[in-house]
Amino acid sequence: MTSPVQLYCWHFMSYPHLAPDFDDTQSSGWVTVPNSLWDRQKARGLYQQYIDQLAYADEIGFDGMVLNEHHQTIYGLGPSPNLVAAALTQRTKKGKIIILGNLLPLHMNPLRVAEEYAMLDNMSDGRIIAGFAPGSGPETFNYNIASAPSRDQFWEAVELIRKAWTQPGPFNFEGRHYPLRYVNPWPLPTQNPHPPIWIPGARSRDTLVQIAKHGYCYFLSSRSHGKETAKSVQQFAKVLEQHGDVYRPHRMGILMSTYVAETDKQAQDESREGVWYFLKNCLKGHQRREGRQLTFGPGVPYIPTNEFHDYLKFSDPTTPLLGDTQDWDDLQKSQSIIVGSPETVYRRFIDILEHAQVGHLLIQFHMGNMKDELTRKSMHLFATQVAPRLREDSVKLFGRTFSDLPAAAGMEVVK
Amino acid sequence: MSSRLIKVRDREVTIFEKGDGPPTLYLHGFADVHGVAGDLLPFHDALSKKSRLIAPAHPGCNGSSELSNGWAPGDLSFHYLELLDELGLDTFNLVGHCTGGWIAAELAVRHPERVRQLVLIGACGLFVAGEPTSDVFMHAQPERGVDYATLRNVFFNGPQTELGLRWFPNGRGDLDEETRRYAMLRYGSFTGFRPPYFYERSLIERLHRARMRSLVIWGEHDHMVPLAHGQAYAKGLPNSSGLKIVAGAGHAVQMEQPQVVADLIHQFLDD
Repeated sequence: MTSPVQLYCWHFMSYPHLAPDFDDTQSSGWVTVPNSLWDRQKARGLYQQYIDQLAYADEIGFDGMVLNEHHQTIYGLGPSPNLVAAALTQRTKKGKIIILGNLLPLHMNPLRVAEEYAMLDNMSDGRIIAGFAPGSGPETFNYNIASAPSRDQFWEAVELIRKAWTQPGPFNFEGRHYPLRYVNPWPLPTQNPHPPIWIPGARSRDTLVQIAKHGYCYFLSSRSHGKETAKSVQQFAKVLEQHGDVYRPHRMGILMSTYVAETDKQAQDESREGVWYFLKNCLKGHQRREGRQLTFGPGVPYIPTNEFHDYLKFSDPTTPLLGDTQDWDDLQKSQSIIVGSPETVYRRFIDILEHAQVGHLLIQFHMGNMKDELTRKSMHLFATQVAPRLREDSVKLFGRTFSDLPAAAGMEVVK
Repeated sequence: MSSRLIKVRDREVTIFEKGDGPPTLYLHGFADVHGVAGDLLPFHDALSKKSRLIAPAHPGCNGSSELSNGWAPGDLSFHYLELLDELGLDTFNLVGHCTGGWIAAELAVRHPERVRQLVLIGACGLFVAGEPTSDVFMHAQPERGVDYATLRNVFFNGPQTELGLRWFPNGRGDLDEETRRYAMLRYGSFTGFRPPYFYERSLIERLHRARMRSLVIWGEHDHMVPLAHGQAYAKGLPNSSGLKIVAGAGHAVQMEQPQVVADLIHQFLDD
């Protein structure tokens, strides 16, 4: 029995009250963006609005809600996604709550994450998907997490959490970074043996090997989807095979952004302000050449030196990034933010599914300073006019390719 | 001249050796041999005129193996002690620049009996309140993806000097040179990224142990390690000949004014 594509609503919770001259006056939306720009009065009610939008996603039938962790940035006001997740456990009844993820090296002790996720899993009656991430460029600066040495620490933290959930306590954990004499968390998660574990990665082979070894789900952290996405699936499939496993769509997720309106033209008109606020402001310092990009540069590297040499051969520091997008045509090509009528959005999404065969779509609806009513209208159109077709067609699509495989394991929530 | 690889236990170390005379161990910095340059530079050639110069690349830099079990000052000190064992060097003069100066100071306070004379050039390693070293990692992120002006300013006497543009050009440079710079920053991120930022708080309290003759040299416009660190070294080292400030030079003073710095060192060592 093939499962349909899972459709989730991802909220980045951007700061929407920047002045129109932000791009002219500030070199980055990340790390160094002065917090004197935070308007305490205008910001009142902002988290409530965002939480309400996520609860609305649950109400209209999305498969879940996605949160993530960012620090010192206008891009995402979620330094502690677990707090929002806690609110959602009380506001929603059906959908999964995906936290993608807690940035483990930023926590003094990962045991705290094991405990908080277990609490959330109990509070939500087993609806948590537990994402773990090491942090990236910005965290290098805002939390002093150097990528190179933190990798080892990250994987040890994941191992500690997994053991804390599965190995009867109390036990002694002889970690290099987190040695603990008494690992014995109360509560344990509701899901048995533990919530599904998702790990974001950007094609690093080391990351894929760890994911494959432990049966985790791979979230491809890329905002653009063309041929590269299909290639990433193939790369992951190959690593799985080398570890005696086999690729299934629900072993992998990707991030998409969309705005849906009645017609293509109306979709562009309504989303223009939010989309370009997002591209120019939120991506400045992250995925835009203008300013100082902190996401992946010399000095914050985690890939070994010899791999960097190979990376250089195939990369060009002048290639435009998503945030450098100038117009709607450019945006079309990036396969990242899909704006249009239900028919257009359906066609573009199913096209990506056909090529990439990915079972989890994590979809951003709110972008930049998008108004509440427009965000909800777009979500509703997607839920009623796009999602049903995607679900139905994805069952056929995945069925064709993966029908001879045993029922998917690992990714399914076990209650 | 070409470097060679020597085996130190399970690690390989890229090393240059040149000249005759009393042995001088040179520990490099960022804008320096092994950091950006694959070969010895005029400063090192000048040093080798009057001594047997031994210039190894730090772990991870310029083809040297990375350390597998930690990068704390103690780990680096043991790495160099094992290298000295391998080279059969008992006592030697010790010259260090930038992070190489830090390691030199760590060796000098741990093993003062082996270091005959000590020279520190734009050395980090000390914590000086209110005088932080530049965030080399932030500056290493190019503006608009291609512009390294502020990084050049950290290492040199201004953002657009000829030397700065030679070693940190805008845009994509020569692949091997890019890789060498990457390795250097990766080494930097292992040794000095996590707090402490290129310092060991207790080092200043240990300087009294470095009783050998010592000299401190600083570029007048060091934008990487503030002059106050040079003053703190000169004050804390018990047998210091003082702080020599080279006018019109930045952090990589030995690259910018090689003969001036080499002369200062030779005058000092000849004393």
